Amino acid sequence: MKKRMVFLLTVLMFVISVTGFAKSKELVIAVNANFISLDPHNLSDTLSGTAAATMYEGLLKYESDMSLKPLLAKNYKVSDDGLTYTFEIRKGIKFSDGTILDAKAVKYNFDRVMDKNKNLRRRRNFLTVKNVEAIKTNTVKIVLNTPYAPMLNRIASLRIISPAALKKYGDQGIITHPVGTGPYVYDKWVQGDKLVIRKNNSYWGQKPKVDKVTFKPVMENGSRIAMLQTGEADFIYPMPTEQVRRIKGNKNIEIMTGFSTIARYVTLNTNKDVFKNKKVRQAINYAVNKKAYAQVVKSGYLVPLTSPVPEALEYHADQTPYTFNLKKAKQLMKEAGYPNGFTTSIWGSNNTEDMKGMQFINQQLAQIGIKVEVMPMEEGTLANSIYGAQTPEEAKINMWYVNWSSFDIDGATKNLFHSDFIPPVSANTAYYTNSKVDKMIEDGAIETNSKKRAKIYAEMQSAIWNDAPWIFLGSDQLVSAKRKTTKNVYVMPDGAINLEKANTTK
Amino acid sequence: MYRIIKNKGGCDKTYILIIQEKMRYYILKRLINTIPIIIIVSILVFLFIHLIPGDPARLLAGHQATLEEIMIMRDQLGLNDPIYLQYFHFLKDFFSGNLGTSIKTGLPIKEMLIPRFKPTLYLAIFSIVWASIFGVVTGIISAVNRGKALDYFVMIGAISGISLPLFWLGLMLIQVFSVNLGWFPTGGVDGFKSYILPSITLGAGIMSMIARYTRSSMIEILKESYIRTSRAKGLSEILVVGKHALRNSLIDVVTIVGLQFGFLLAGSVLVETVFSIPGLGRLLIDSILFRDYTVIQVILLIFTLQFIVVNLVVDVMYGILNPKIRYE
Repeated sequence: MKKRMVFLLTVLMFVISVTGFAKSKELVIAVNANFISLDPHNLSDTLSGTAAATMYEGLLKYESDMSLKPLLAKNYKVSDDGLTYTFEIRKGIKFSDGTILDAKAVKYNFDRVMDKNKNLRRRRNFLTVKNVEAIKTNTVKIVLNTPYAPMLNRIASLRIISPAALKKYGDQGIITHPVGTGPYVYDKWVQGDKLVIRKNNSYWGQKPKVDKVTFKPVMENGSRIAMLQTGEADFIYPMPTEQVRRIKGNKNIEIMTGFSTIARYVTLNTNKDVFKNKKVRQAINYAVNKKAYAQVVKSGYLVPLTSPVPEALEYHADQTPYTFNLKKAKQLMKEAGYPNGFTTSIWGSNNTEDMKGMQFINQQLAQIGIKVEVMPMEEGTLANSIYGAQTPEEAKINMWYVNWSSFDIDGATKNLFHSDFIPPVSANTAYYTNSKVDKMIEDGAIETNSKKRAKIYAEMQSAIWNDAPWIFLGSDQLVSAKRKTTKNVYVMPDGAINLEKANTTK
Repeated sequence: MYRIIKNKGGCDKTYILIIQEKMRYYILKRLINTIPIIIIVSILVFLFIHLIPGDPARLLAGHQATLEEIMIMRDQLGLNDPIYLQYFHFLKDFFSGNLGTSIKTGLPIKEMLIPRFKPTLYLAIFSIVWASIFGVVTGIISAVNRGKALDYFVMIGAISGISLPLFWLGLMLIQVFSVNLGWFPTGGVDGFKSYILPSITLGAGIMSMIARYTRSSMIEILKESYIRTSRAKGLSEILVVGKHALRNSLIDVVTIVGLQFGFLLAGSVLVETVFSIPGLGRLLIDSILFRDYTVIQVILLIFTLQFIVVNLVVDVMYGILNPKIRYE
């Protein structure tokens, strides 16, 4: 009898200890869209970028304040002429397939992304790169055609794939067989249902604290919140701002906000008669109450823009705000010769929030006599309407309600304000043409001295702000929500979810 | 087929063979007839998709892309090929079973489709099964109690079932049964349990429709002379309604069920969205938003094939339910 008791107790203890040890730490993250690709060189959406960033790493990485730090690189040097970037790569790092990361592997990745025939989506970041050479086992040299100041940001955005895996799976196979050096490794991807990653047990840096992370695309806002309430999800992003009130009293849930690199604005086609006069554009800016906009359209989760670029970006420089002032707006309209306003139209996407935003603009501008016809369009139709115009004269666009996100100031201004980038080339739908601004955008991009660069960009922002080719609305605050048991998961200013130090006390 | 033979009163083997032969011939004929339908549908699908405004290359590359990038992309995607050649590629990929590559994800379409079939199929089956059972039963109850309080009560329920917005019903069920009571998961496709709420949501409207059809057809049939005869010869009411009347009223019901099942197989976008079910409906919508031509074409053609098959099954079932219907 006694023996049996001892035996049973031992078994019991064994079971307890095993289950105790075996309890793996898992996180479920619910997001609002499907993953499109896991090939880090060929994706353009932030969400796919989030997933890729858990498995892949770049030579440099962004800290939470958007500053750059070496990651796979031990250190780097930029030549005085700004043409040569030399990176020394950390020794002893292996890809998750066991192959070694060295200068050749890095070169292989650069060559792949720069290949014109492949036309991968990240190629646009490296158009100024002349060539990349592996000069020593662990030293790689990147040579540019012309100096290009945002180059470090672009290099940071390139995540390194195992060349062996690329050769094995090919360009298509690599999408579903990711092999990188990151803290997590790929487990499975059930199309439309979930993406599962696991802890990389041989990770070279500090190993993740959770064993498994599952991403679930949950499009419907209400369902995503319900998952958080029931505990089926540990973290959700985005947290729908209009429903924050619904879960505010919940003791198990915490709502988090952070600043973003997203700028929200309305472009004014400066080529159209009514918008040609700077005074009209300024009047419009004075007539729109940005604080009310933040409350009405973004439930308060938006900070008014204080320059053409969001505050989160390096080289942002504050400008005198166009504070809501109807009297001044009316005065300016009168001076411009439109005392009774005019009729125009606004284009935008047909999602609920954007339609609300356009409706808001319509109401605000009615105060100074401008009648705005709100024209929501489905994305594809909208793109066609914008880029279908081959010349500025053909363009039917008056106003475009839109938002833009970029991780450096060059990316946040060039396509939007440089005269070379009017449609169909890119998104300068204000048809804004200012040769001084063009020059400053070009100069800023090649100036490697950061003080001089800051000066150029400050002047550029001031010039654009004064010309007011946009209604400068605001910069989004990113809202996410988590169970209180979830630790150290947060959303970066570019909208990517950071899981580096993720943990759970579930 | 046995019923038909019994009705003929005997075990005439040649008769069975003739019927089976006729049936086989009928099915074969129907299948051959589908070929022109498929060709016409494939042309229509292809043309419609290419007529919607929106350039996949532009949507794929995003507003940040340069013109050069988009030009190369159009070339790679074969969008610069003459339209008949693009159609030809589509047919070739489809009928060789390889289905082609998605413009949006770069993945083989087959890989994207296969995992999405199961959830949609399960959801369709669960919904149609419970909707049919409950619909027929409530329809009968209503018909038998025609004009009484119970009839009104059931029919008011049915009308509400049809008019409830799926979206709202789904979110309400989640709030009550997942968030408050914690009985079912809020979504996903992990096991049978996760299909219960979505099937209820999806089946509610169909059940109401079936109930109404069963009721009206039952009321008609209960007026027939052979029902009076059955009652006159002293059969119990259960036998009269449950056997003689029900079987005859099922013809209408089968038509409705078949039609609805065809639609369900195309996936319900709303229910799949509310319950995060990775089904075909949502894939189709995602693909349309992105102008993922290759995927849209394949999915639509598959839906057409499904409809053809379901229709065929329904037609064959007519014959089983009513031997008077002959296959020619």
